[in-house]
Amino acid sequence: MKVHIKHWSAVAQWRWNTGNTAHDQDDEGDVCGICRVPYEGCCPSCKMPGDDCPLIWGECSHVFHMHCLLKWLGTAASKQQCPMDRRAWVTAERKANDPSSTTVS
Amino acid sequence: MASSAVRAQVAAKWQESFNRLNRNEPGISGLLAFSEAWTLATEFLRPRDLNDPTPRKQYDLNQVRVAFGVIGECRRLPVMMEVFLEDMRKSQHLITREVEVHMALYESNSDPESIRTLVYRLVEWYDTWKPTTDLGSTIISAYTLAFQTHLFSVLPPSFARGIKALISATLERIICQSQDPQDRVLWQAFDTLSLIDRYETLIASIGYEIIESHVKETCAGKWAEPMLGTLRTWMIDKIVPWMLYPFARGATNADEAKTMMQGVGSRFDFHMHKTLCTLRTNEMFDIIVDFPDSTGALQDLKECLARVDQRADLVHALRRAINKRLLHPGADTKDILTQYVSTIKCLRIVDPPGVLLFKVADPIRRYLRDRPDTIRCIVASLVGDGESEDSLVDENEPIQPLQQPEMENYSDPDWNPEPIDAGPDFRASKSSDIISTIVSIYDTKDLFVKELQVLLAQRLLAVKDGNIDRERRNVEILKIRFGEAALQVCEVMLRDMTDSRRIDQHVQSQKASQMHPTIISRHFWPALESSDMVMPGQFQILQEQYAKEFSVFKPDKVLRWLPHLGRVHLQLELDDRTLEADVPPLEAAFIELFSENDIWTVDELVLRVGSVTRTAAIKALATWVDMHVLKEDSEGVFRLLNVAEGPTPESRPQILKPVAGELPPVMSVQQQQAEQMKIYWKFIEGMLTNLGSLPLDRIQTMLKFAPGYDRTVEQLGGFMEAARREGLVSVKDGMWRLGK
Amino acid sequence: MTSISSRRLRKELNEIQAEGCPTGITLLSADNFESWFFSIEILGESLYQGEVFKLMFRFDSNYPISAPAVQFVVDQDSTAPVHPHVYSNGHICASILGNEWSPVLSVSAVCVTLQSMLASCKSKERPVDNDRYVRYAPDNPKKTRFHYDDD
Repeated sequence: MKVHIKHWSAVAQWRWNTGNTAHDQDDEGDVCGICRVPYEGCCPSCKMPGDDCPLIWGECSHVFHMHCLLKWLGTAASKQQCPMDRRAWVTAERKANDPSSTTVS
Repeated sequence: MASSAVRAQVAAKWQESFNRLNRNEPGISGLLAFSEAWTLATEFLRPRDLNDPTPRKQYDLNQVRVAFGVIGECRRLPVMMEVFLEDMRKSQHLITREVEVHMALYESNSDPESIRTLVYRLVEWYDTWKPTTDLGSTIISAYTLAFQTHLFSVLPPSFARGIKALISATLERIICQSQDPQDRVLWQAFDTLSLIDRYETLIASIGYEIIESHVKETCAGKWAEPMLGTLRTWMIDKIVPWMLYPFARGATNADEAKTMMQGVGSRFDFHMHKTLCTLRTNEMFDIIVDFPDSTGALQDLKECLARVDQRADLVHALRRAINKRLLHPGADTKDILTQYVSTIKCLRIVDPPGVLLFKVADPIRRYLRDRPDTIRCIVASLVGDGESEDSLVDENEPIQPLQQPEMENYSDPDWNPEPIDAGPDFRASKSSDIISTIVSIYDTKDLFVKELQVLLAQRLLAVKDGNIDRERRNVEILKIRFGEAALQVCEVMLRDMTDSRRIDQHVQSQKASQMHPTIISRHFWPALESSDMVMPGQFQILQEQYAKEFSVFKPDKVLRWLPHLGRVHLQLELDDRTLEADVPPLEAAFIELFSENDIWTVDELVLRVGSVTRTAAIKALATWVDMHVLKEDSEGVFRLLNVAEGPTPESRPQILKPVAGELPPVMSVQQQQAEQMKIYWKFIEGMLTNLGSLPLDRIQTMLKFAPGYDRTVEQLGGFMEAARREGLVSVKDGMWRLGK
Repeated sequence: MTSISSRRLRKELNEIQAEGCPTGITLLSADNFESWFFSIEILGESLYQGEVFKLMFRFDSNYPISAPAVQFVVDQDSTAPVHPHVYSNGHICASILGNEWSPVLSVSAVCVTLQSMLASCKSKERPVDNDRYVRYAPDNPKKTRFHYDDD
């Protein structure tokens, strides 16, 4: 017997590729340390998650909603430091096509 | 031993009497003339037996008048009157017999005509015995009184029945417009015998009864048009002309008649309104069912209630009917809601301030609040679920934001005090639209928003052609009602749908795939039943290829499949036939495995796809068995039928239609909550074990000590009710205890 | 109107209600997203054994980007702990509330930090400039530019 798939209406969720697959399993997922909203949710000033409310990666490996971090860095009190480790914030260059982290299954 | 003085006194008296009777006529000629006059007059007056066959003696009326004159001169008229009345008394047995004869006849044949004959006959007796008017009104009155006193004393109770029938007949003749000129004579006869005064209550009751039966006959079940106008015309055309006989006797002109009939007229009018009011009150439940085809009846009821104070009756009757016919387990929630909405609309017509509605609605609202699927029903009708045509929402009613109950504004120039029968907790709801009223059954609108999300998720995941215009329009409408913020999550869901299509177009342009996934944002979709199912073979390859292309397109993101959701359209090429089928993923996964191997046991299959229950697996396999693709050789062992066996070996393609109404497995709000409530069951169980039985609010208070408990007492009530259905707890007089 | 702060504070409040406060800390009131009150005591060996203080948090709409204003409540029922970094009007000189604030901190984290500040105290005394500071202190301690001399 041959099985031909004619059309498959599947369902999937998207996740940010944080490189952290261990936490991918649990229900809430990781949260942004500033607003405490999950990464796949959106920051308090956004209404749409995903591309409209992206994440920002620091070289220190800490990840935040971009809008949350920029708000923090915009204050004098931040002294341009990462809120987690108080090291000077440097945004990481993302490795665009890392084939090892494309699917999580 | 009479003394001379006594003797002289007697002599003087005698002389005086003699002189009076003799009137100074010569000798005793005066006395003789008086004697003749007396004889003539008493003879003339003496009551006569009508049945006496001897012809009545003819009197010279002039002589009689002269005789009365003589007696009058002698001041002997009072004595004559006494003699007359005494004679009458002696003849009363004639009247008695007359009555007895006719009443006996009536009692045997029940024909009111016997009564008519009797009445006429009595009038005849009365007229015959009546002294001439020359003797003055005093004598006539005395005669009439004596006659009637006797008559009334001998009329048996059945006479009332007879006269009632007779009078009813006169009214009926007026109603059928076949008036009999005899009726006037009859009423005249009644008047002569003073029967109208004596039977006034009975006559009025005839009016009441005819009004009552007319209202019931003409108005029962007729609700489309207002009936009051027609009824009033009928009263004027039919009842008033009849009323003229008994209640406007002796009126010389229309105005006089009107004044005389005023009292009884307004009583009849009141009775007409009261009868209609009672009728509509008893019919109210069905009037509401028929709404809006029953608007006429509602207008009538409103007018009647203004005239007749039966508001409390209406509330009681309607509540009773609702309780009996609507608020029982057999009734569909949808029907209860529909009837509730109609009730709102109807009672607003009858009582715009809303007091009646408030009183009637309260039990319906409480009942609905306790039903588990109420919110789902309301939400389904808010977005028009397509199945039922009659939505709760009137399409003509403008969509408006939900209204919160407002405080009274006493500076409002249109402010009116609350109606007198408004209870202390009455809240005017005149300004609320229907949806606001329904949504306010619950304390918060959050539950609705959650249920909306579940419903939307189910609909979106079931969409096949990618057309989500309808859902988008619904969300826009709901935004107006519930506010932008509440619908934000739905917006994200809709955007996921359009994004998915865009992404799919891109992926297909890079590398065509049979897979067309809906990519959803987690946290924004209601809880989807989770599954760790693994798709085998080519399905897994498709997933991996698609995920790879996706991550090329969106480098920051990865896909996580929800393999148990969605549908697959397959073509199966077997040795002797080709089949097409539209199946859930589990069915697809299994048949894929049969392309590797012809024989599988259920356990082996389950092992290959991961976490599915045996029940689900057997159900999926049954789909293929039904299509004659698989056969269960022995229990739990399935074999692929490469060559068809059994009765349908035809090779025409078959398409298995998805089971109608099968929606994606999105957990309803209720399910989600039940899931979360399970955690608290242990607390409740412990509480009831230690304390025996507890009322709901005590359980609620104690649960508040449990970490993270944030349920309302209503939600707890719903949960306890569910637990009761499962036999875990029982409730009596509001006290919950463990076991049955 | 939901501001940034109310969303974040709602989450923190839910967490406090679900998981409870850190030991020794009790939520007294959180009726709005402007000011919350806690009671705080030091458990175990310390100079403040048996003493209970009352903390007031005031949030502006930018919380947690901006730090909360935190101080001990001083009224007829409660006083500020006698501590070299705590003024008698309740104001606290702690870097975590000033230049070392980070938006990843939370109300609970602040409470715990203050608890350990008290627990590690060696001698109960007021800051040296207490009288002068208290005389001119603004109502909101955030308006003060503290000089964090040690730790």
